[in-house]
Amino acid sequence: MLSADILYLPVSELAKRIETKALSPVDLTEAYLDRSEKLGPKLNAYACLTPEIALEQAEAARKEIDRGHYRGPLHGIPYAAKDLLAVKGVPTTWGAKPYENQVFDYDATVVENLRRAGAVLLGKAAMIELAGGMNYRFASASLQGATKNPWNASRWSCGSSSGSGAIVSAGLAGFAIGSETWGSIICPSAYCGISGLRPTFGRVSRYGAMDVSYSMDKIGPMARSAEDCAHIFAVIAGHDIKDQSTLPLDKAAFTYSPSLEFSAKPLRVAWLTNAWPKIDGHAERPLEAAAHAVHKVFPGAQKAKLPEGPFEAAGAVIVAVEGAAAFRDLIRSGRVSELADPLGQISGYVSEQIGGADYARALQVRGMLQQKMANLFDSFDVLVAASQPLGANALDANLETDLDFPDPLGGVGNLCGLPALSVPCGFSDQNLPLGLQFVARAGDDISVIRAASTFQQHTDWHRKHPKVS
Amino acid sequence: MSPAKDALTRREFAKRAAFGTVAGAGGPLPPWGAFWPNGSFAGGAPQTAADAQKLSPQSLAEAESRYQTILALYPNRFSDAQKVDLKHVCLVTQHSIDELRSYAVGNADQPALYLKPLVEREKKTNAPPNLKSAAPAAPESAAPAGKAAVAPPKGSPEKP
Repeated sequence: MLSADILYLPVSELAKRIETKALSPVDLTEAYLDRSEKLGPKLNAYACLTPEIALEQAEAARKEIDRGHYRGPLHGIPYAAKDLLAVKGVPTTWGAKPYENQVFDYDATVVENLRRAGAVLLGKAAMIELAGGMNYRFASASLQGATKNPWNASRWSCGSSSGSGAIVSAGLAGFAIGSETWGSIICPSAYCGISGLRPTFGRVSRYGAMDVSYSMDKIGPMARSAEDCAHIFAVIAGHDIKDQSTLPLDKAAFTYSPSLEFSAKPLRVAWLTNAWPKIDGHAERPLEAAAHAVHKVFPGAQKAKLPEGPFEAAGAVIVAVEGAAAFRDLIRSGRVSELADPLGQISGYVSEQIGGADYARALQVRGMLQQKMANLFDSFDVLVAASQPLGANALDANLETDLDFPDPLGGVGNLCGLPALSVPCGFSDQNLPLGLQFVARAGDDISVIRAASTFQQHTDWHRKHPKVS
Repeated sequence: MSPAKDALTRREFAKRAAFGTVAGAGGPLPPWGAFWPNGSFAGGAPQTAADAQKLSPQSLAEAESRYQTILALYPNRFSDAQKVDLKHVCLVTQHSIDELRSYAVGNADQPALYLKPLVEREKKTNAPPNLKSAAPAAPESAAPAGKAAVAPPKGSPEKP
């Protein structure tokens, strides 16, 4: 059986071993399956495992590689897909009781792209019910129950990509796929001490993915390094005729070669001074140190401020209205009452009543904000701030009251469809991981990857792993 | 403190909150009895009162109207505790809507395409140097070409 050290290797390292046949995809898959069967239930990390698919795909990968047909860095690498992605013949519950028996007869484009790249599907990652589209108040808002943080089982892994974060953090798979409407990749990545990329809106197809908010949903990789995220992103990005919201061919596709980073021009980096109005006392000192590290890694880094305005309110109205539209049948039928969370059971009714004029106004505000952000990005390539102003919260916290703090960068970033990459940057006084997020102009995903990779070349926070047993 | 006394105190608190709001705006007192079932508070109500305190009488009336509409549409769907929670959500949502409405938006401000800045940046790059400082060009179209306008083809998810 492979050691945990192997299972915690980044994709880029696993790929080298697989390509040189020093590591068999079958052995790797069996080891991850074994670990997932043992630890997954303790963390509530998976919605389900797919051992038959995994072993079949791993065996196919082994045969191909033995024949000299190596497909690339994801070939033979086991991963977990958030349970809002359709996988043919496998339950896709969207984390919610009303959909617990839902089975699609096709694969999401992301799953299909990963299969073509030779990646091995280990299972479906647990998630917050409907990705939080009907709102939620507690971490337990999931068909699988609250996902525990591998660093501290009394803490949450954050949502809505809660299982994806825990799976990568606990070394249960090589990487995972998550999705973000507002915070659902960045927060679990920060809480779980992993690297997560929220791509530019429209670069990754959402065909076969559950809709929460048509104009804000993004699908992205969660992995052990920014470089890993880049490799995965290169596979899942691209125009898709089955998803009309994807960008045109030339704007959606992404190719990645680490060597290209060194020849690129230096990044203009700015630390955001108003991303979080308040930092938790336990996180203050390490986040200050992280800010200091940013200035060391990027010597010319300056300070910048996000524009001010009702951008969180605009984002909230858009998500609420689009969420009510996406789940109208669930609300109208009354089956929304089957959701686990008390807030989830009722807030869709209110969202349904928000007027069209207010929704249109939110879109106008979004347009004005995009212009303001475009102006800011004329001066800087990458903006940096803490991913969250605190370490993972307690599993039983009331998110509405205990975590009631503004998130202007999350609002701005998601409202404008900006790419962001969260990487580990230290630990709070309570030994909980903290993250930094790098944010860039829409379409400039390569800059967040470059900035985060550069940061990780100078730090080793991403190499630290929890002791899980 | 007995439950009855507790309820009275809370009711007093809410009245003060209501009058404080109304006094500032000079509007009519919202029908609290209708807004809170049985004219008293259940669990979570102090938070609701605090939420209400932040709103103008007009906004409070709008939040209440939204709440009453929901009850009219779905008369037997909510427990008393859920009704209190529902009011709380109506008030919080109203706060977001008010914040959004208070932001100055002109008649000519177009609803956004999520990636409009990306397109505009290219326009800027391609523009002759003497035009770079000019006002940004008007968006090409107000009609979103993205998913907000046209839903992607999907399979047939099982109806809940």
